[in-house]
Amino acid sequence: MKSNILLRHAVRGLAVLSCAVVLTGCLATKSYVDPTLPRVARADIAAPANLHPVQVAVEFRTRGTANAAGTAEVQPRVVAIAAESGLFSTVSREAAGPDAGLLTVMIDNVPLEGENAEAEGFGTGLTLGAVGSMVTDTYVATVTYSRGGETTSVDVRHALHTTIGNHAGPEGLAPVSMLEGSHQVIDQIVWNGLDQLADKKAFE
Amino acid sequence: MRVAIRGGVALAMLLVLAACVNSPAPAYQPGIANLQVLRAGAAPIAVDDFAADAGVNNSRFSLRGNTMTGAGVDSDFSTYLQQALESELRTAGRLDAASGLRLSGTLTTNRLDAADSAVGNATVGARFVLTRDGRVVYDRRLVADHTWESSFMGAIAIPAAFQGYAATVQMLIGQLFADPAFIEASR
Repeated sequence: MKSNILLRHAVRGLAVLSCAVVLTGCLATKSYVDPTLPRVARADIAAPANLHPVQVAVEFRTRGTANAAGTAEVQPRVVAIAAESGLFSTVSREAAGPDAGLLTVMIDNVPLEGENAEAEGFGTGLTLGAVGSMVTDTYVATVTYSRGGETTSVDVRHALHTTIGNHAGPEGLAPVSMLEGSHQVIDQIVWNGLDQLADKKAFE
Repeated sequence: MRVAIRGGVALAMLLVLAACVNSPAPAYQPGIANLQVLRAGAAPIAVDDFAADAGVNNSRFSLRGNTMTGAGVDSDFSTYLQQALESELRTAGRLDAASGLRLSGTLTTNRLDAADSAVGNATVGARFVLTRDGRVVYDRRLVADHTWESSFMGAIAIPAAFQGYAATVQMLIGQLFADPAFIEASR
């Protein structure tokens, strides 16, 4: 995902690489999925009596600007969750006919206010990880369903905390890889968005 | 995401190892706003070839020792724009090669700058011409300008420039599809 998270991790990655030349294994990254957002699965969402086909459109943004690489990476996960949800008769990324609904998922990766990921990562690299750092990637999403002239939207916020070097993670959270953490964040955003839309009877 | 993160790390490693990269612009992704505008009322449209005005950079950008090209067999940026329009229309179910509505165009401005250590910038402009059964119903020049946060580090600045260019093209296409004159002409 060429987004903030990639930029931040790329900066840290360079620091890691430079360190690795001198001292192998001195830095480590750990990610922690923010626990605020409820965990939602298919069993938590009530399917409508009549299912309709849906076209899924995804847009990943970084600081409000479209991020083509991020979109390409996130889109298959969103489509897969829409198919797994049981809320639609068929799921397509292309136009799906006049009876189809349109599910749009816009996810914007924005920096946590007051945080300077590049400077912190650079400092961590210079100290070979002795002075660790933690960066938080915030994701602000809007999930919208339209069909038959009616449109329903919900907002979902999530976050991924990542530590580099000698820095404690958030208390009580289990560390995962950056990749796994990113996947969990995106998946939970989509599941929660679908759940909230179902609560609003958007799919009825 | 997995591929991109690995790709970013791989790119960073390549840059550290001083290898130059010659890559096409990112695969274009249709925008949600564009999709919604097209679904609201545009008729099916065919997209014809796009070209570039004389003197417009249509082949490659040099970005701190790396190179970005356009798309298609010619690797031109005019082809990148053409394919981006096709992608938008296809996603909205509004692409029809047999349509009497035909969209063509010319790249009039094409700049990408990643040299600055603080910001990157792209400017993309085009003249868009829409004909209905051979009669011109829309003819307008549009320009999109986009600036993004960059870095003194190439590993940050170069991928940001690639993404920034794709975003600028999406903005340009957004201007076209949201233009009331285009909406009226394409009904």
